[in-house]
Amino acid sequence: MKKLSPIAFVPRRETVQSASLAPVALYLGAYLLVCFFSSDPLVLVFATAGAALAGYGCGAGRAVNFSLKLGAFLALTMVIVNALVTSRGATVLARLGDWPLLGQVEVTAEAIAAGMLIGLRVIGTMVVIGVWSACVDPDRILQAVHGIARRSALTATLISRLVPLAATDYARIGEAAELRGPAASPVSRGAMVHRLLAGSLDRAVDVAATLELRGYGLSAESTRFRPAPSRFDRRFWIGGLLLTLLAFFELLAGSGRFVTYPGISYPVGAEGPLAALTFLLCGFVTWRRGGRGVRR
Amino acid sequence: MNPVTAERSAGRRAGLALEFEGLGYRYSGSEVAALAEVSLAIEPGEFIVLAGGSGSGKTSLLRAGCGLIPHFHGGEIAGAARVGGRSILESGPGELADVVGYVAQDPETQIVSTTVAAELDLPLRFRGDHPAERARAVEEVALALGIPHLLPRTVTTLSGGELQRVALAVALVTRPPLILLDEPTSQLDPVSGDELIWLLRRLNEEWGVAVVLAEHRLERCLPAADRVVAMDEGRIGFDGTPRDFLAWAIANKPELATPSALMFAGSDIEPLPVGVRDARQILRARDSGGDQPPNRWPDAPGKRGRGLDSGSRAGSSVALEAKRLWVELDPGDGPVDVLRGIDLEVQAGERVALMGRNGAGKSTLLRAAAGLIDPVSGRIRAPGGIALLTQNPGDFLVRERVGDELSGPAGEAALGAVGLDVSPDRDPRDLSGGERQRLALAIALAGRMEGEAVPGLVCLDEPTRGMDRGLKGHLTELAGRLSGQGAAVVISTHDVEFAVSFADRVVLLGDGEVVADAEMPTVLSGGWYFASEAARVLDQPGLVSVEQGIEFLKRET
Repeated sequence: MKKLSPIAFVPRRETVQSASLAPVALYLGAYLLVCFFSSDPLVLVFATAGAALAGYGCGAGRAVNFSLKLGAFLALTMVIVNALVTSRGATVLARLGDWPLLGQVEVTAEAIAAGMLIGLRVIGTMVVIGVWSACVDPDRILQAVHGIARRSALTATLISRLVPLAATDYARIGEAAELRGPAASPVSRGAMVHRLLAGSLDRAVDVAATLELRGYGLSAESTRFRPAPSRFDRRFWIGGLLLTLLAFFELLAGSGRFVTYPGISYPVGAEGPLAALTFLLCGFVTWRRGGRGVRR
Repeated sequence: MNPVTAERSAGRRAGLALEFEGLGYRYSGSEVAALAEVSLAIEPGEFIVLAGGSGSGKTSLLRAGCGLIPHFHGGEIAGAARVGGRSILESGPGELADVVGYVAQDPETQIVSTTVAAELDLPLRFRGDHPAERARAVEEVALALGIPHLLPRTVTTLSGGELQRVALAVALVTRPPLILLDEPTSQLDPVSGDELIWLLRRLNEEWGVAVVLAEHRLERCLPAADRVVAMDEGRIGFDGTPRDFLAWAIANKPELATPSALMFAGSDIEPLPVGVRDARQILRARDSGGDQPPNRWPDAPGKRGRGLDSGSRAGSSVALEAKRLWVELDPGDGPVDVLRGIDLEVQAGERVALMGRNGAGKSTLLRAAAGLIDPVSGRIRAPGGIALLTQNPGDFLVRERVGDELSGPAGEAALGAVGLDVSPDRDPRDLSGGERQRLALAIALAGRMEGEAVPGLVCLDEPTRGMDRGLKGHLTELAGRLSGQGAAVVISTHDVEFAVSFADRVVLLGDGEVVADAEMPTVLSGGWYFASEAARVLDQPGLVSVEQGIEFLKRET
């Protein structure tokens, strides 16, 4: 029985999955933009919550939870590393003495705050990527790319097919290594990776042959047949445009609002919370009532 | 040129679905020709079975038929080949896609999209068909193959049988007049395999699609065939009707003959039967002359379906014990009970065939026994230790020399135990399928061949996939040798005829439960799908093998 990755695409009849690629890319891209570049912790928290709401609204709860857990782990790592390697900041919380490689280590409140800001960005980015991965059909991305750059699309097709196969292969090779008899030569990770690469090349040849048989090399496909628009497109266009404008405004106006060095400064005005609230509420764009028609 | 081929090809070239004229081919870097002087003509609507041992050239012939040879695999080619009137030298596989469909052995590498619907749509999209035409073609092919419920599914959630059906549907979605299939049933259980063969026959009859089907298990597909082409060392050894093929095989290549043909030939009954139905009709016609009642096989068990109770094996040591075993796996959309309260005991020296449909829980049971999966309830133990060979022997082969995989006296002992005599300098990936299987087993057994170290239990998970009958014979010998050393041997298999040759007991799983557990002759003569061909022809409780069938038929006459 094959196990699906929590962020693997699962076809569902929800809004993001049904909508066209461009408006969804605009909508989730705006969240990605703000999560990746914003320096305002309030905006980051609310944008992350908005992206998570968007994921829950379209049935990607498992991907959101996985991304939140992975993001939280990475964020915690960032906070610890930043606290240890950065001695900038006026508020010293602890002096940990001389450490090998790091020298004199002082933990400051400012370094922790800066680490938390990076961590918030990581969590938000992970959630957006998780929602995108679980809700956007890779085939549609490949179709879109195929018309523009055929070779890139071929590479992307091979990767999208071979990565999950390679993960499965690696797990099986690992199991086989455990099952070797005591007198068989032990298997190092290097040998396993070498074997995996050799096997992946064989598989890549098979997948490429399949694509060839499907007529991949034919030039018939063109953009003359665009996919049918979805009834959910409008909401994603509107939500996406609003969020994109807001994201650019926030990146321009909000930069320097939250300062960590040499001391923490966060003057709260009206525009920050307003932008944050908008990012949160726009998460409901993916939600819809019921799903069944009303019988008259 | 074979006379039959010569007659068929003369004057009818324009309308041929596939035609080879003196085709020769050598893979790049190979010194041996994969195809030599192959001349063959296939007419529209024919159903052809391509027979031959491992490495006889079946796959190369099919690859040439769809243009993968020479356009994809390179190499040197001679002669001419035309598909639907188009030369494979001038048209590539993509350009030939509307006149020929190809289904390879491994369904995993034939699927490139995320969902089944997208996969079916792909060739049509590449061809530039209108969306409305594409939607109709996808719907129709899905209905024809009985897979409309699979359309929205992601391909990663499909079973092997479902994947193979999807691969067949993709090959057919452009409505090509010819379809080539390379051992499509090798990974399927008997039920799914039979379904696929009859599906092909139906498509052949209703859609007029010419079918060329390469297979090892000929007993399954000969009844559906109009004609058989047998390959031998890259050449056509035989080309004719299924009945003539059986006569030729018995005289020249007995390993290609079906069990019922061997049984009839051994009993001097003519004509040779093409399948179970034919065999029964021949026997019925023969018996209708006399008025004596039909004999009964004397070795029949007293009662059909009698299970093996623990008392019948009392006194021997336990090699595997499962008590109320529940195993749960999560494929990604919630946990599923794969094994449901299994109770099973295997004694030292027993040879057990573990059978059941795809997804019945066979592999999970073996993996739980090896400690690769933890049960959620109950327990499973192999007190004498376990050596498990998983489904892909290639997973065990990680180095570039046989000598690096197994070195020293213990390694040599393991190679000797599995009967593998190859140079230590050979690359494991260059070995034949059967040799790779043996090497992998030797790796699993290395250091466990002497005295106390011999494992109490040796398990092989579907080792006969893609093997011809000769290689299966070697595997049977190996199982016998291991069981002679005191190990219990459990082999999970879909191959009923192999189970007849190897097992003394059969455990049949269904939906994670043991649905039959008895002596091999009892189980394999007591059903339809999980029954040997001899059992299906003669319908005598306990009669399962060709030798028993010959004895029974001779006694009748």
